Amino acid sequence: MSELVAIFFSMALVNNMVLVKFLGLCPFFGVSKKLSSAVSMGVAVMLVMLVASAVTWPLFHLLLVPSGVEFMRTVIFILVIASLVQIIEMAIKRTNLTLYNALGIYLPLITTNCAVLGITFINIDSEYTFIQSLAAALGAGVGFSLVLIIMSGIRERLDLADTPKVFRGAPIAFIIAGLLGLAFLAFGGMVG
Amino acid sequence: MAKERTGSYPIVFLTLVVLVSVIALTVVNAVTEERIAANKREAIKQMLATLFPEMADFVYAEETGLYSLYDERAVSVDEETGESSVDQSFPAVGYAFMTNGKGYGGEIGILVGLEIDRTLRGIRIIAHQETPGLGSKITKTDFLGQFAGLAPDQLLLARDGGAVDAITGATISSRAVAEGVAAGLVDMSAILGAAEEGGQ
Amino acid sequence: MSSLAKNFTNGIVRSNPTFILLLGLCPTLAVSTSLDNAIGMTGAVLFVLLAANVIVSLIRRWIPNRVRIPTFIVIIATLVTIVDLGLQGFAWSLSQSLGMYIPLIVVNCIILGRAEAFANRNNVRNSVADAIGMSIGFGVAILLISLVRQLLGTGTLDVFNVRLFSVPGLIDNPASILLLPMGAFFVIGLLLALFRWVGVSECE
Repeated sequence: MSELVAIFFSMALVNNMVLVKFLGLCPFFGVSKKLSSAVSMGVAVMLVMLVASAVTWPLFHLLLVPSGVEFMRTVIFILVIASLVQIIEMAIKRTNLTLYNALGIYLPLITTNCAVLGITFINIDSEYTFIQSLAAALGAGVGFSLVLIIMSGIRERLDLADTPKVFRGAPIAFIIAGLLGLAFLAFGGMVG
Repeated sequence: MAKERTGSYPIVFLTLVVLVSVIALTVVNAVTEERIAANKREAIKQMLATLFPEMADFVYAEETGLYSLYDERAVSVDEETGESSVDQSFPAVGYAFMTNGKGYGGEIGILVGLEIDRTLRGIRIIAHQETPGLGSKITKTDFLGQFAGLAPDQLLLARDGGAVDAITGATISSRAVAEGVAAGLVDMSAILGAAEEGGQ
Repeated sequence: MSSLAKNFTNGIVRSNPTFILLLGLCPTLAVSTSLDNAIGMTGAVLFVLLAANVIVSLIRRWIPNRVRIPTFIVIIATLVTIVDLGLQGFAWSLSQSLGMYIPLIVVNCIILGRAEAFANRNNVRNSVADAIGMSIGFGVAILLISLVRQLLGTGTLDVFNVRLFSVPGLIDNPASILLLPMGAFFVIGLLLALFRWVGVSECE
């Protein structure tokens, strides 16, 4: 159990998906201007990560490896993720139309979110068990959402601040991300 | 421009694309498989060679995780294929195994090298996530050199009663390495005993 | 300017995928710690983008609209796997240092984006020009970032184990923060601001 907690916190904080592993940057800069859409996006990504991990792990270990076709990993995983996103998109459209409209184009974009494919690779490369993969996916999702929410809160404020013209928009967002990364360094040693 | 077609055409098309993909990748995989395995082996060999310069090749026992190292007397290279094979009836010149330490930033991968009488030849750090400039100094020879020849009960920090001087400002990283090596030796002791008795 | 040349230069300056379109940031920031990595990654992206654009452009009339995205994805994923296996077989140390970011090229928005927005609607010649242009744009961006990070972060510039030069004072006390993840964010943020200041790009 303590190992699961360690994996969770490692993924969420110490080796944060966005700030340390550089995964999930596109939506990070696109969505994070409004707090409400950041929260929705974070939850959606976390959901996809969890389900994707739950599906790809058994697919890899119980199907690809015994058949000796590990090299098909990339193709299979991304197809699984693309299908999952389609399914989740349809599910959200039917149950919560406001959420669907709020997420807009960013929902199908979750397919190309490096963080989702990334966590499925990490699960395999780190040789996690099934349960450990789920803990890692949960941690990664939480970490991603956390950074997204913090970032959007900061950017909402930034819009009102008097940023130098050349920095407005993307440049200052990157620098803030760097500072956030520095701050997250403080989590080092938490897992050890 | 993409076609608008209904019916089963889209599914058939996609299946065809996937089929082509599988065939293409199977071919590429067959072509590269051996080279990749050889590359991996070479990488491990180079790593082992840093501890055992006299080593010519090694044998890895997957069930136990033990590397048995041999020098040139035991190794013959096939002139035609360039492949080397090991004659295990010769005595090994050393052993090695991988172990982990619980470091400050995560797991530390440690390679432990042993003489045939099971005394410590030395260690190398394979992977770590320690703080750059502080814990990362565990990869330096000043720190690693201390481990040569240490007995298992000396594998503690000096302040804990052992013979390992910690790196200033990186006690946790240092302790993780020392304790990781000690724990690894304990785990492997039965396997090492068998290897020693087998005269390998 | 002929349309071919226009498509080509589009990707380098006006629509530079990294600095203007802000696409494909994951690999750019992750591996840009050394020139070797930058060159390797650019090569990989060039191969995949070029091949993908050509293939998609060749078969565009037969791709059913409903499954076009999955089709692009399978094509790109296959090409990426080929690069991955090829690197592991023939350039082992590069493949180790680029690591998981090679297979992650499959979700690099640059490649999927160009397949959808360009190769799907244009002939092969223009698609080739577009692919090469975009790759050069990406290459320039990642090389620039790696240059800054490697030079200031280690005090030296090495390419495939050949030392180009080193800065005497810097080599002993490099700004190693630039090699850490957050360093990448700072570098690209400052570079973007620099480009706007110099007038190469527009402010928001």
